[in-house]
Amino acid sequence: MTVKDKLAVIVGPENLDDSDFTLQQYSHDNSFLNPIKPALIVKPRNIKDVQEIVKLANEYLTPLVTVSSGPPHFKGDTVPSTGGAVIVDLSGMKKIMRIDRYHRVAMCEPGVTFAELIPAVQQQGIRLNLPLLPRKNKSVVGSLLEREPVIMPKYQWDISDPLACLGLILGTGDEFRTGQAAGPGTIEEQWAAGAVQKAPYGPGSTCWHRLFQGAQGTMGIATWASMRCEILPTLEEPFLVGSSFLDRLLKLTHWLIRLRLVNECFILNNTNLAAIMALNWPEDYYTIKRSLPTWILFYNVAGYQYFPEDRVRYQVKDIQSVAQRIGIEPTTNLGAVSAKELLKVVQQPSEDPYWKLRYKGACQDIFFLTLSNKLSSLLETMNIEANKFGYPASDIGVYIQPGVQGTSYHCEFNLFFDSGNSSELQQIKKLISSATLSLLNKGAFFSRPYGHCTRVIMNRDASTVESLRKVKKIFDPNNILNPGKLCF
Amino acid sequence: MHLSKEIYAEIENIVGPENICGDPAIMPSYHDSEIGAVVLPKDAEEVQAIVKLCNKHKIQFIAMSTGFIRAQIPRGSIYLDLRRMNHIIEINEENMYAVVEPYVTSAELQAELFKRGLNCSIKGSGSQCTSIIRGHGHMDISTSGDDRNQLAMEWVTPAGDLIRLGSLGSVNEWFCGDGPGPSLRGVISGRGSGDALAEGGVITKSAMKLYHWPGPVEFPLEGNSPNYNLKEMPAHFMIRYFSFPSVDKMYEAELKIGESEIAFELMGFNVAMLSANVSSSLEKEIQFLEKAKKEVQGPGFYVIIAANSQEEFEYNQKVLEQIITETGGKSLKLVEDPRVAGILLIHGIRICASIRETFRSRAPGGKAYGFQIMGQRDVCIKWIGEAAERKKKLIEKGLGADDGGVFFGWSVEHSHLGKTEIFFDPSPDPRSVEAILAWQQETAWNALNNHLAVPTHLPLEIIGPRVSNYHIWSKKMDEAFNPNGVTIFLPSLTG
Amino acid sequence: MSLENYQGYVERCCRCSCCKFVPLQKVRGIKHSYVCPSISKYNFNAYSGGGRLLTIKSMLRNKTSYNDKLKEIVYNCQMCGACGVSCNYAMDIEVMEPISEFRIRCVQDGQTHPALEKVITSLRTTNSMVSVTGKRSDWALGMNLKDITKDKVEVFYFAGCLSSYEKHNLAQSIARLLQQAGVNFGIAGEAEMCCGGRAYQMGYEADFLAQAKKNMALIQKTGIKTLVTGCADCYQAFKVLYDKFNLKGDLQILHITEYLRQLIQAGKLTLSRRVDLNVTYHDPCRLGRLGEPWIHWEGTQMPGTRYMFDPPKEYRRGEHGVYEPPRDVLRSIPGLILTEMDRIKEYAWCCGAGGGVNESNPEFSIWTAKERIEEAESTGARTLVTACPWCEKNFDEAIKATGSKLKVFDIVELVENAIQKGDTNAPK
Repeated sequence: MTVKDKLAVIVGPENLDDSDFTLQQYSHDNSFLNPIKPALIVKPRNIKDVQEIVKLANEYLTPLVTVSSGPPHFKGDTVPSTGGAVIVDLSGMKKIMRIDRYHRVAMCEPGVTFAELIPAVQQQGIRLNLPLLPRKNKSVVGSLLEREPVIMPKYQWDISDPLACLGLILGTGDEFRTGQAAGPGTIEEQWAAGAVQKAPYGPGSTCWHRLFQGAQGTMGIATWASMRCEILPTLEEPFLVGSSFLDRLLKLTHWLIRLRLVNECFILNNTNLAAIMALNWPEDYYTIKRSLPTWILFYNVAGYQYFPEDRVRYQVKDIQSVAQRIGIEPTTNLGAVSAKELLKVVQQPSEDPYWKLRYKGACQDIFFLTLSNKLSSLLETMNIEANKFGYPASDIGVYIQPGVQGTSYHCEFNLFFDSGNSSELQQIKKLISSATLSLLNKGAFFSRPYGHCTRVIMNRDASTVESLRKVKKIFDPNNILNPGKLCF
Repeated sequence: MHLSKEIYAEIENIVGPENICGDPAIMPSYHDSEIGAVVLPKDAEEVQAIVKLCNKHKIQFIAMSTGFIRAQIPRGSIYLDLRRMNHIIEINEENMYAVVEPYVTSAELQAELFKRGLNCSIKGSGSQCTSIIRGHGHMDISTSGDDRNQLAMEWVTPAGDLIRLGSLGSVNEWFCGDGPGPSLRGVISGRGSGDALAEGGVITKSAMKLYHWPGPVEFPLEGNSPNYNLKEMPAHFMIRYFSFPSVDKMYEAELKIGESEIAFELMGFNVAMLSANVSSSLEKEIQFLEKAKKEVQGPGFYVIIAANSQEEFEYNQKVLEQIITETGGKSLKLVEDPRVAGILLIHGIRICASIRETFRSRAPGGKAYGFQIMGQRDVCIKWIGEAAERKKKLIEKGLGADDGGVFFGWSVEHSHLGKTEIFFDPSPDPRSVEAILAWQQETAWNALNNHLAVPTHLPLEIIGPRVSNYHIWSKKMDEAFNPNGVTIFLPSLTG
Repeated sequence: MSLENYQGYVERCCRCSCCKFVPLQKVRGIKHSYVCPSISKYNFNAYSGGGRLLTIKSMLRNKTSYNDKLKEIVYNCQMCGACGVSCNYAMDIEVMEPISEFRIRCVQDGQTHPALEKVITSLRTTNSMVSVTGKRSDWALGMNLKDITKDKVEVFYFAGCLSSYEKHNLAQSIARLLQQAGVNFGIAGEAEMCCGGRAYQMGYEADFLAQAKKNMALIQKTGIKTLVTGCADCYQAFKVLYDKFNLKGDLQILHITEYLRQLIQAGKLTLSRRVDLNVTYHDPCRLGRLGEPWIHWEGTQMPGTRYMFDPPKEYRRGEHGVYEPPRDVLRSIPGLILTEMDRIKEYAWCCGAGGGVNESNPEFSIWTAKERIEEAESTGARTLVTACPWCEKNFDEAIKATGSKLKVFDIVELVENAIQKGDTNAPK
C-alpha cells in the first residue's frame, strides 16, 4: 500500500486530492517562497484522523504541512518548503465545540473561521478579541496560533492571549492538551464536571501552549483551541483622533491603555484607513485619504451591564482631559470617516475582497514588535528603504497596534502592489528583504518570522535557535512537521 | 564540608573567597541542609560559570532569592544565593516594564514604581520576596499572576547555557519574552509542582510587566511599628470587607465585580485571615476575630477600589454597591472604621504578605497541609468546597485545628481566573496528622477521579497519565535542557 | 532566662527574610531598604536575624557546634535590634533576646573574642569600657559641679565612659545646660563606674551584673531618684537592662534629650538664637528601639497551635523607644531645618558601634557608619545630629575615612548653640 492508499483508509478517498490543479493551488501562496508542489492534499475530519496521519507520516518520514484558513495565504507558512509534502488541510474541521458566556470562553476546531465564530459567540453575549479585519475565511485557531495582535489591548494580559488551551497532535503522533484542558479526563468529562478549558497554565508548572504558538505547525498540529472571550458591551462610543504628529497619538494611546479606559484601540495611517473604509475604488480611496491627516488613532469606549451611560460618560471625560493636556482632540467624525462606521467594520472580519487586496490586488506585509519611542525612527527607516526601491512611501499602509496592555507595539507595513506586474513583484521582494534587515538592525523585533526573511531573523539569536531545536527534537523527532520553516 | 576542596576552589576562583562558604556553621540558616557550598554570584556570567561547573562535576544546584520556602536541599549540592544580584536595571514607564535582578524585592520595586505612578504585582508570600517570582497575590484581579507578568528574560539553563529570551536575544530590548517563533518562556517552569523540570535553571534578569498606580508616591503613615496607621485614605481609594450568605453568592459577587472591572484588589480572606492581618498581636487578633465572627454572615472578601478620577471613583462605588445588594452582601462595620481600613489597605497593597496568618497564627512550619490551585475558580470552589466539608467533620472529631473549616480564594484578571486555597493544620490529637494526610489524599483523588483539577500530593506517575502524560514530556524537556540532571526539585507543600 | 527558654521562639522563625529589611511599608525605594548591617555586609543568611535564630535552633537541637565560622557570625552583629523590629511587625516571637542570650552563652562556654576579652579584662580593673587616660572626672575640672557622694542633689548626671575619657565636650555641654536650667544635679566624678551596658552587649553578663550592682549600690546610698545621661548605651543599660535584672528599683532614667524637652517646655531653657543648619537626625539604637521599657512577664504557654501565653505576653517591638523627644528638641531650635533620612526611628540603620563590633571588627563598624553617612548625605543635609557619643565617634571616623564634608554633632551641642550669648559660657 502506498502512503496515499493508507491515507485514504484513514480519511476516506473523498478527502484526498492529488489532482494537478489542486496541488498547484497548494504549492505556493503570495509569499516569495519558491513554489514546491506537495504530493497530496488530505482533509482530516477529526482528531483521530489527524493522529493517524501524523503516525503514518512518522513511519514514512513524510513531511506534513498544515493549513486551516481558506485562501489567499500570504506568509509562506502553509506551503511546503520541501518536496514530497502532504498538506493537512484542517479547514473541514468546523466544529464549534463550546461557547460559554458564564466562563467567557469559546472553543472550536481549526476549520472554524472568523466569519463563523463571531456571530456564534455574539449570540451568547460574548465576543472575541479580534485581530484587525481578518479574512472571512481566516481560521480562528490559526490566528491564535500565529499570535496575531488583537485590537483590544486592554484585554491582552499576556502575548499568548486570547488563546487559552490547545488540543494537539504532536509530531510524534501523541495527543497532548495544554493548560487546564490537559486533564484529568477527556474534554467531555471535564465539561460534565463543570470544568472548561480556560486556564492556560500547565499542566504542571510549564506553560506548554507557548511552545506551539508562533511555531507555524512545526511542533504539533492543533486540533482545537479554546479562547478567552469578553462580554459584549451594551453601549459603545467610538472616537477618532487625527494628527500629523504620531508621537502625540502615541502619548494618548499610552494613557488610554494604561488607565484602562478603552476597548478597541489602534493607529492607522491614512493610506490604511482609506483602504479599509473605501467602498468604491479608486474614487472613495483617494477622497477618504485626502480628507484624513497622516495618522489616525481609533478607540472605543464601552459600557457593560452596570450603568453603562455613567461608565461611558466618565471615561469620555477622563480621556478628554488627557487629550487636552497633549493638545489633540478626539472626534466622532474625522474627514470622511465616521468612528461608528469604523467600529462596525472592525468588529467583523473583512468583507470580500480582503481589504488589503482592494488597492492593487496584492499585498505583502512587514511586521514586527517594538517600543513606542522607537516607532518614529523605524517608520523613517521604512520610508528610506521604500525610496531606495522606488516604492512611494505615501502608498505604504501603516498599522500600529499596542499590545499586552501597552508593553509592546505591533507595527505593520502593508505594501500594496500589482502581482501581475513582474517588475513590481521583484521590487516588493527586494524591498521586503532589504527593509527587514534595516529594520532588524534598527531594533525591530520580528517575533513572528515568515517567508524568505525567516533565516535572517532567526540567525540573530543563535542560542534561541539551539534551544528551539531541542524542543523540536522532543515534539517532532523525525522533523516531519513543516520542515524547513523557522530554524528547522 | 560536603564538597571536595578542588571543586570548592574552582568555584572560589569564580566568585572570590568572600562569596562562597561551605562551613557547617551557616547551614542551619539555609534550610538546615548539608549543602556543599552556598555561593553568592554577582551576575549572569558568574552564574553561568558555576552552573557549567556543576554540570562538569555532576553536582546539583539550586538558585534562591530570599529563599522563603520549606526545603530540603540535597547533601553536597550548590546553593546559589542571589543576594548580590539586587539591581533594578531599567524602569521603562512608556512601555510599562521594569527590568530587575532576582534579589530586587517587590517592596523595593513597588516603591520605585510608585514614584512614577506605576505598580507591579506582588505575590502572597510577601513584598519582601523577589519581584520576579511566579505566583499569585492579592492584587491579581488587576495585576495578573503566574508567569503572565514576565516579559523578556536572561536565563541560564540547567546545562549552563545563557539564553536571552524574546526581544532581548534578537534586538537587545526587554519588552517581549516571546519569539522569534515559539516562545521559550514555555520551557522555563516554575517551582515545585511535581515536574521533572521544576527547577529551570536561573533567571538572572527579568523584565516585569507594570500597571498604572492611581495612588500617592508614598502612603502617609503615622505611628511606629507594628502599629502603623494610615493618616488618611488617599483620594479615590476605598476598602471594604463584605460577607455573603453563601459561597455561591460570594463567588457571584466576585465574578460580577471582575466583569465590571471596578476593583483594584479583591482578596477572599476569611475573617480569621482578616483578623490576623489587621492585628499587631495574637491577642488583638483573637479580640478582632470574636467581634468579626459576630458580624459576618458567611464567607467574604475585601475589595479595594482605586480610581483615577472622582467620576471614576463614584462610578466604581455605585457599581460595587449595586453588586453587593444583588448578591446579599454585607459590609463589615469593623473594616469601615478608618483605622482598620487603613491598615488593611496598606497590607493589601504594600505587603501582601500573609506572614501573620500563615506563621504567627500557626504551629511552626506554617501551612503544611492543603492545596493551592490556580485556574478556573468555580470548579476549584466546587472541588475545594467538598474538601472543606470533610475538613469540618474532622474538626468536629477533634482531628484538626478549628478554623471553622474554611477555604478561601481570590480573583485573577478581572475574574477570568482565580486562585483557591485550603489549609488544614493538625490539632494536638496524636491521630490528627494521619487523619489530615488521609483527607489530603482523598481530596487529591477527588480532583483526579472527578476531572476537576490537577492536584498535588500524588506521585507524578499517578497524575501524569491522567493529564496528557505531561510527566513524560516534562522529563524529555528536562533531559534536553538539564542533560546532567543537576537541578533540584522542591515540593511546595508536604504530605 | 537561659537560652533554652527561647527554644519555642527560635523554632518559629519561618525564614521570611523580613528581618533583613526595614518594615515593608517603609521601604521607599531600592536604596536604604536594608536594615541589618550584618547581612548587608556579609550576605550569607546566617548573618541575618532569622539566620541567627535558625542557628540557635540548631545549637539547641545539638545539631551544630562551635567553630571559628560560627564565632565570626556571632560576633559580627551590632546587636542593634533592627531585625527584631521588622520581624515583630508580623510575628509574636522574641528575636533580640535569644540572640543576646546566645552571645552570653558563647562567653560562658569560653567561645570569646580576643578583642572583647581585652576590653572586659580592662573593665574589671578600671571600671571603664574605654582606655583610661587621666582621671575619669577630668572633664569636669573647673566647672564646680556637685558630687553626688557628698552633696544632696535631685538629679545624677551620669557621663559614661566615652564622655568621661574622650568626648569631654559632650559631658561639659550637658553640665552647662543643666546649670543653665537651674537643675540641682551632681556627678559621681571619680566614683562613677561603667554602667556595664556594653559589656552586656558583648555577652559578658556576669561582668555587666557586677557593674550594675556596684552602680545601684552607689545610687541607693545617695537616695537619688533621677538619673540623666547623654549616652544611649548607658541609658539603655540603666533603664532597660537594670530593670530586666530587677536592679533598677524606682530610679527614673532619662536621656538628656528627654530631659531637655522637659526643661524647654517648662521654660527653664530658652532657645532663642538661630542655628541655621539643615540637619538630619540619627536615632541611636539604644535610645530608640532598644530603649523602650523592659516588660516584666512570666507565664506559661497555652495549649493549642497558636504560640500564646497565660497571662498574655506583651512583646517589646520597638514601638515605644525615644523618638520624639530628640526631634522635639531639634524643632525647638530656631532656624534649624530637620530633614529625615529614609531609615529612622524604630527602623533606623545602626551607627555600627554596638555589640562589641567597634572593638572586635573596626572595619565592619566603620563600614556600617559609612553606609549611614551616605544616607545622611542623600537627604541634602550638611549636618548629622545624634544623641549618643558612640554614634558620634563612629560617624566621625567614617567621615574621616571617606572625606565626606558632613559635620556630626551631638544634639546637646546644637541646643547650647541655640541659647543666647550671655545665657551660657559654652564654647561654639
